[in-house]
Amino acid sequence: MSFAPRPAVQPWARVNTARRIQILLASVLPLAATVLIIILTGLDKNMALLGVFLPLQLIAAAVVGFNAFGKRGVGDAALIVLVIFFATFVLVLLASVVVSLVSQGAQAMSWGFFTTNNRYVSNTTSLEYGGVGHAIIGTLLVVGLTTVVTVPLGIAMAIYLTQSQSKTKGVIRTLTQAISGLPSVVAGLFILSIAITLDWQKSGLLGSMALLPLMLPTVARVAEEALRLVPVDLRYAALALGAPNYRAFFQVILPAAKSGLVTAILLGVARIIGETAPLILTVPISNGTSWDLFSGEIMTLPAYVYNYLGSAFVPSQNRAWGAALVLMILVAILFGTTRILSRSKSLKSKPTKEKASK
Amino acid sequence: MNSLTKASTLSSENISVWFGQRQVLSDVNLVFPANKVTALIGPSGCGKSTFIRTLNRMHELIPGAGLAGSVFLDGEDIYGEDFDAVSVRIKIGMVFQKPNPFPTMTIRDNILSGLRLSGRKIENGDEVAETSLRRASIWNEVKDRLNDQAISLSGGQQQRLCIARSLAMNPQVLLMDEPCSALDPGSTRRIEETIKELSSSMTIVIVTHNMQQAQRVSDQTAFFLADDNTPGGVVEFGSTEQIFNGPIDQRTNDYVNGHFG
Repeated sequence: MSFAPRPAVQPWARVNTARRIQILLASVLPLAATVLIIILTGLDKNMALLGVFLPLQLIAAAVVGFNAFGKRGVGDAALIVLVIFFATFVLVLLASVVVSLVSQGAQAMSWGFFTTNNRYVSNTTSLEYGGVGHAIIGTLLVVGLTTVVTVPLGIAMAIYLTQSQSKTKGVIRTLTQAISGLPSVVAGLFILSIAITLDWQKSGLLGSMALLPLMLPTVARVAEEALRLVPVDLRYAALALGAPNYRAFFQVILPAAKSGLVTAILLGVARIIGETAPLILTVPISNGTSWDLFSGEIMTLPAYVYNYLGSAFVPSQNRAWGAALVLMILVAILFGTTRILSRSKSLKSKPTKEKASK
Repeated sequence: MNSLTKASTLSSENISVWFGQRQVLSDVNLVFPANKVTALIGPSGCGKSTFIRTLNRMHELIPGAGLAGSVFLDGEDIYGEDFDAVSVRIKIGMVFQKPNPFPTMTIRDNILSGLRLSGRKIENGDEVAETSLRRASIWNEVKDRLNDQAISLSGGQQQRLCIARSLAMNPQVLLMDEPCSALDPGSTRRIEETIKELSSSMTIVIVTHNMQQAQRVSDQTAFFLADDNTPGGVVEFGSTEQIFNGPIDQRTNDYVNGHFG
């Protein structure tokens, strides 16, 4: 009994040695040439990256592509180079933000930093004492209140925009879009001016009110898209079974749009959790822990960062970086848990689908 | 089967339909006797699907839709004051061209969804589910996986699930809008067998593009046609035997013999 040789699993991906060498050269030479030019001429590195490396890499890839497939190979090669180049560019940008945040904030990290407040901390107190516990609580309270109020409003708007036949909805959609361009500092000033006119005290509540117009357009727009993606067939199926409109909506359309609606809420929270200007204008900061949204001082993470970052003292600057890192961790935890919660159901159904199709 | 509702006679009187300013159907008069299967045939765009949607008031959901004429369910006008759309649709079920099970529900919940959606209490849900699935001839395939998601089923099974979902409501009339057009021959045959069994307990109207299917399942046939830029209408209506073997109108003859359409 003899064995046939194992066939190539991906025959379309076969590459001969000559082309392998070409590809190797094309991926090494432009970089080497760029480095050489930088060393010889002292050209600025960023300039060299865009002005020397990118054109050289494009030419090299185009040559390889031309040798392999003629004219059409040139376009393919150029596309691949551009996509990889700019994707790397964006990734490096994002990664550098995260890396600098982690490296600068890491020295402030300790369990105590998360759990204690800054009541007995001065500008020069070492990092072992004090923390952002009060700011975490404040941020969760202010953002939580905004979310609790905004999400029903935003989803209600989305329902109106998708379900109603009314002609005014175009106006409302345009207005929503216009509000989403509102500078956050203006939202803060608006609430502040109302507070001054009506003689209200600054408080966490005012901060929530200032964040509301920033969160609402995001939630409404994304939720609208989520609802729009539900096939109209499902609505017809429900109505044909004798469902009144509201039952068809709550029992069929809303569950089908669930993961999109969760995304809407997440994006809304992400939009406001780092907002600084409205909170600085409307929420009086404190160094102690406060659970009271409706009166008195309350600290939030963005305000904490703003407050300490401008300090001339190193421990305070470190606190600011630490707080920024905490804010990022907070967002990551919020997103992670919500994603897992909203996905668990659709994940369960996927394996059975594959099983059935085999 | 004495617990089931009796089949009813459905009839349309001078049904004309508009979308905006454009008239798409003109004066359709058809009678669908109890326990009979009626096939609606005709080329695409002649208004068959539009017509069948007027029979359970699904037509009015389309923006810009207009209607003249009446539809009688056992002598009562379903567009009259004594009826509302919801109660009409409970009595007259519908199966769509594309299988549309509710993707967020299990197989069992899909069957019971009609009862839930129309606000009824569900007693002996398991029994209702089993009876409905048996009547749609899909019980043996799904009995061990009633709690799986409905979208895990194949297309043909999904369509029979949708039929079972309609049957759980015990409709007096079942409307089917090209129920087999997206299915393979095996699934099609099973659905045709189901239709024959169901006709003992309900009135069935089925839109189909498949002439053999019309001959296999129906007792009577209506041929719809729309000439260029004129509203569609019924050219000929009679027993399936007569429409296919001895059509009176030349156009019917041409269509059923495959000369056009």
